Amino acid sequence: MLNAHISHQPVSVMTAVNFGELKMSHNPAETLVAFSIGSGIGVSIYDPITRCGGLLNFVLPDSSMLSPSKAHIQPSMFADTGLAALFDALSDFGAQRENFKVVLAGGAQIIDQTAEFNIGHKNHQAITSLLKAEDLTIQHADIGGIFLRTLRLDMSNGDTVIQTSGQKEVTV
Amino acid sequence: MTHVDDIISGIDTLRPIPPVAAQIMVLAEDENSSMADIADLIVHDPSITASILKICNAAHFGLSRQVNSVREAIALLGLDEVIELVLLNATAANFRDEPDGYGLGEGELWQHAVISAHTAKILAENHGFASLKHLIFTAALLKDIGKLIMGRFVAFSYEKINILVHSKGYSFSEAEKEVIGINHEELAARVGQKWCFGDQLIYMMRHHHMADESARGNPETALIYLADIICMMIGFATGVDGLAYRFYSEVLDRMKLTEKDLQNAILNTGYRRQKLDKLLNLV
Repeated sequence: MLNAHISHQPVSVMTAVNFGELKMSHNPAETLVAFSIGSGIGVSIYDPITRCGGLLNFVLPDSSMLSPSKAHIQPSMFADTGLAALFDALSDFGAQRENFKVVLAGGAQIIDQTAEFNIGHKNHQAITSLLKAEDLTIQHADIGGIFLRTLRLDMSNGDTVIQTSGQKEVTV
Repeated sequence: MTHVDDIISGIDTLRPIPPVAAQIMVLAEDENSSMADIADLIVHDPSITASILKICNAAHFGLSRQVNSVREAIALLGLDEVIELVLLNATAANFRDEPDGYGLGEGELWQHAVISAHTAKILAENHGFASLKHLIFTAALLKDIGKLIMGRFVAFSYEKINILVHSKGYSFSEAEKEVIGINHEELAARVGQKWCFGDQLIYMMRHHHMADESARGNPETALIYLADIICMMIGFATGVDGLAYRFYSEVLDRMKLTEKDLQNAILNTGYRRQKLDKLLNLV
């Protein structure tokens, strides 16, 4: 079952997409925001033709490594089940893959985090590979480092804004 | 008075832990104390009783009936949960303030403290340290109390700290030490000494970032460290210091933790957050 929130509010509104959540919108007055992304990754996908989009804030790379029942409860915790849920939701909105603008932010790492335990790096590898398998191009990716990021998707124009802690915002 | 002495004197601006909670912390560290000793302390303290009843009877707490005594609360919730409520209630007043310097909003340091304390407690139960879970919970809850005092000094020196972290490969607490002369974990230990905490609790607060190699072999401190890095990776109420701390794989290796264990711990911390959000609003 898709764990997605669908909003149609007429007034300007900012909707938080928390850790392990997926939210969708086609309300031009709405901005979807994933705050404080650490080793997880925020995935923003927007279709400028249908003017709908979604923001996934996943935390772990692969649901099959852990209990599948947990992925069933909250698919957006994982890259694989979360991205599938995001595609399903976009499809329900009538979005077309050839129009997708894909932006990624997150995948931060603790200093000296070794390969085996480097969840941020594994999240990046997982989402990149999943998007490649779908023949989707990543328009922009701000990944890695040691600081938190906030990712916003402005539904009025599809602008995606990345704010890295202590740095200037970048608009894509 | 030196600059560092001036910072340490800031401990006096904190609200001290209520005596009963401090006694519980001491008992939690004493292998010869029993749960009955702790229950007796709680039951006989009027202010703690009032606080516990207020929390338990709040609509959001979700109990099916009104609770009229601490003994009833213990019967309904279990002594472990009541002890946690006492400890949370005793520390909340300080953590509600918004610390300058670390880029944290109001209550965010408190959120981080509570979530990492619960994560550390679950790790303790799962890794053979259930008998020390209250001590481990308390150490995780109080490990960042130094940030409440350090904040304004970090704010003043942030540019220098940021350069060391971004350009010189320092961890945030290494940069604090270099620029300010003391870091937040050293200051947390000073708070513990001033408030007469037990040696083990002070040690765990002092070494929660594992900068001292000898601490990496201490399994109780390792649980605090692990809970902290899980919260950092998830991004729970983490400020401008972000993930700028060191990862020591040897700590996880000594605990025989696999990648799957770490991912499970991250997942479970995430699931637990929703439950804790309600608690955070009550205490």
